[in-house]
Amino acid sequence: MLGNAFISIDPKTKNLIRVTSVWHIVLAAVALILGIATAAGSVLLELRGVLRIVLIVICIFTAAASGWAVYELWGFRRRGRTISLVVNYLGFILFFVLSLHFLQVFIDIDKLGETFGRGLIALVGVVIGYLISAFGDRFEGKPELSQQYSKVGKWVALISFFVFLLLVGIIPAIATLISRMANPFIFSLVLMTAVFGFFIWTIWREPSAAALKANNAHKEALDGFLFLSPNLLGFLLFFAGPLLFSLYVSFTDWDAFGNKNWVGLQNYAKIFNLNVQPMDSPDMVVTEVLDTTVYDELTRVKLLGKNFMIGAQDKLFWISLRNTLLFGLLAVPLSVIPALLLSNVLNSKIPGMKFFRAVYFLPSIAATVGVSLIWQWLYNAAVGNINYFITVAVNFFNSTFGLALVDPQIRWLSDTKTALIAIVIMAAWQTMGYNTVLFLAGLQNIPKELYEAAVVDGAGTFRKFWNITVPLLAPTTFFVITTSIIQALQMFEQVFVMTNPPGGPNNSTLTVVLYLYQNGFQRFKQGYASATAWVLFLVIFGVTLFQFQRQRNSEAYDI
Amino acid sequence: MNRKLFASLIVLLVTLSMVLTACQPAAPETPAEQPAAEQPAAEEPASTDEVTLRWRTRPDNQAEIDVYSAISEELDAEMDGVSLVYEPGGSESSSYQDVLKTEIGAGTAPDVFWIPGTDVADFATRGLIMELSDVAGDFDTTAFYAGPMFHLTYNPETGANDALWGLPRDVSTFALYLNMDLINEAGAADPRELAKNGEWTWEAFLDVAQKVRALGSDIYGYGANAWWGPYATWLNAAGGGFFTPDRDACALDTEESIAGLDFERSLYVDYDVAVPYGEDSEPPFLAGKVAMFQNGRWATPGVRANADFAWDVVGLPEGPNGPGNWLFWGAYVVNANTEHPEEAWALAQKLTEASTQAKISALGTNIPSRVSQEALDAFLTFTPPDNNQAFLDGIAAESNPTAEGPLWVGNWPEFDAIMGAKVNAVMTGELSVDEFKATICSEANKVFQQ
Repeated sequence: MLGNAFISIDPKTKNLIRVTSVWHIVLAAVALILGIATAAGSVLLELRGVLRIVLIVICIFTAAASGWAVYELWGFRRRGRTISLVVNYLGFILFFVLSLHFLQVFIDIDKLGETFGRGLIALVGVVIGYLISAFGDRFEGKPELSQQYSKVGKWVALISFFVFLLLVGIIPAIATLISRMANPFIFSLVLMTAVFGFFIWTIWREPSAAALKANNAHKEALDGFLFLSPNLLGFLLFFAGPLLFSLYVSFTDWDAFGNKNWVGLQNYAKIFNLNVQPMDSPDMVVTEVLDTTVYDELTRVKLLGKNFMIGAQDKLFWISLRNTLLFGLLAVPLSVIPALLLSNVLNSKIPGMKFFRAVYFLPSIAATVGVSLIWQWLYNAAVGNINYFITVAVNFFNSTFGLALVDPQIRWLSDTKTALIAIVIMAAWQTMGYNTVLFLAGLQNIPKELYEAAVVDGAGTFRKFWNITVPLLAPTTFFVITTSIIQALQMFEQVFVMTNPPGGPNNSTLTVVLYLYQNGFQRFKQGYASATAWVLFLVIFGVTLFQFQRQRNSEAYDI
Repeated sequence: MNRKLFASLIVLLVTLSMVLTACQPAAPETPAEQPAAEQPAAEEPASTDEVTLRWRTRPDNQAEIDVYSAISEELDAEMDGVSLVYEPGGSESSSYQDVLKTEIGAGTAPDVFWIPGTDVADFATRGLIMELSDVAGDFDTTAFYAGPMFHLTYNPETGANDALWGLPRDVSTFALYLNMDLINEAGAADPRELAKNGEWTWEAFLDVAQKVRALGSDIYGYGANAWWGPYATWLNAAGGGFFTPDRDACALDTEESIAGLDFERSLYVDYDVAVPYGEDSEPPFLAGKVAMFQNGRWATPGVRANADFAWDVVGLPEGPNGPGNWLFWGAYVVNANTEHPEEAWALAQKLTEASTQAKISALGTNIPSRVSQEALDAFLTFTPPDNNQAFLDGIAAESNPTAEGPLWVGNWPEFDAIMGAKVNAVMTGELSVDEFKATICSEANKVFQQ
């Protein structure tokens, strides 16, 4: 090895790297056997469905990566260090989490909540210790006194923490933990955690890093990935994993309880199965035009003087898509334009403005379900406050000016013509405050000099707003519009809570997310719901891509 | 030891200490000042050979939660070798069933739980609940009302009634909650008197509703919420219904069903006597603006607590086919994955015993599902309303109630969604009854082809 000619490796380090190589040989062999046993459906590993596939993939990855690590480590190459650390780190995390699970730590953590109060008094001691230590900083000119304070503070904090542990029950906890570890299975999990931890150490240590020719860039990269790993693992486990799983499920008829058959593109075909038929007269009944064993009437259109009926195998999907897009079309401008205007008002330096900023932001942090229930009451056609005030206003105008206005008695949530608008108003009200805060942040980035120059040039308030504020807020506006559109296309909670039945009346507020929820959780159709989710994903992705494209093509100012 | 290493060790020590402290023994120490009698039974350490059963219902309010908790503790004491843990589920609006299904999927659902009658088939055919006939032996199912038991003993494989999926927790029928102040003010006849004299018909009902409606633009003669229950009773009283007798096809387009639907439509569209369809009718009723509010027994506690006007209940008016009503019910079923089927079955029996049902009935929300005078007497003691008998009359065979039931062929939630949307369109005048008749079954029958 060329590298070895220049770097002398001490025997201990060399042996540790060799032992790690042997460990990877063993690991690769075990992973291979486990993978084959799982694939063959061994009695010992009767895993079903996705779990089986996941285990096989993990085994293949471990075997391949370990084999590669052996090859690279044997040659004392840097890549061997990276691969070995990744494999052992993932193994350590896996066995550590399994150990905690089987030691019931995740369940017992509740008990910490119960006993935590008993130790609070000792935590006060920790705080006092810190204060004593911090007090020492006041004696800058007397280092000895400062050090003494620091030392006393540390000891007070340390002793108090020890007392805290005793009070919350560390001794019976350790006894319980040890008794649980007496179980051979749990003990082997803990042992494996320690083994993986040991082999991380053998390769991570400085002499090993030098022996494997790790330079600073390499070490920094690994440090970076180490810090990134909690988020990265969380993303892979809780986002990317379920995402891929839902893609797989969308090709099945899974009902969420184990009954699953591969149906290929059938779910997608059902969603997109449309039928357009000409009609002899516009009054024809659906049964005369379409094969109603397959299709339902979606809508009627008149094109070039001819009448057509459009049927869909799943008309509810198309109705929900139409409602969702319509909702976005109405709710986004209603939550963005007022927010832009409001942020300009709130950006002024008038006393008490911070209070109003907080007031307008409140709806965004209020719980959606609670807010929706209140709006449901406000919208009640018979006893709701909104209709009450309309009635009062109508009566006032009629009596004062001798008019004959008719009280509209709007059925906000029970009329197909107004239900979606009612939801739009409520949603726009709720998101406007958040958008306002974003615009405020954008406004505060605009240099004041530009406005001063504009004033010198004789620009009025509107000209300043139109020619300075709006163009320079473009990046913020882009962000606000994009996130508002994505949020609007995922509308669920408000409709679910406010309408009865959810999506009513007559499906006029049924959104795609609500529809897929109903299919997945109420009609036992997880496969179909997943397919719907992926179609919605493509719609959102398309709209967002279009937004980005437009943004790139425009000459937006970037401050 | 450098500072960095020292700091790292401290952080590690603190983290590990917290984790270690979490591993405490199963039974927490009892604080000295807390009386032993106040300790919940569930927290007492179970003996090693004791079976722990978790069970769940969908209570409507805190009072019910308290009664169910007390019942759980009593049964816990009665059942040797069994320790019970009661878990109150969410309300219907907080998706009790959705949460339950998710827990079943995750394998964390309770051993015994309550589900609505319409869900029994879905749960049974997917193997989520246990078929109990083997553990039940010669259990006497005739002790319960026949309607619910027909569905709970149906065997989809044989088509016979030789299975057992659970036991009904309670039943309920519809009645009209009356605002007597409004009715008297309008000078309309007292519906209770009309019912006594056998004159409580659709025409008499409409007459009362119209007279009350004439009191003001914000006063309504009738109110009901927009779900399948209320309109089902109008269809029923006209001799119609949702399904064919075999429950494997849509029957919403029969002459009888259409007659019932048309009468209800006329209340909203032609005569304009009802709270607009789709609006929650309970708030205006409680605000004293609705004369006749159609709802089940479950609404009674809310009316008792909030109505500050003279109120009572009366049975539903008779239609062209005589009286009609609906028998709502839900059942205690056993989780198919329970490790203790025999104990779970014993618990289901205990929960539906006459004495247990009497305690729950005394709360006023539930009508006993067991044909037991003890339980019915307990139910009748709960007044107001004075005319509790109206609910029991609705259960009687003479009232021709249709028992709520699952669809063993087809998909009930989908049928409900299709039917509900179309009925909504009819009630709001967006769809004519003729159009409804021409299209409803071609659309709804698809759910039987799945």
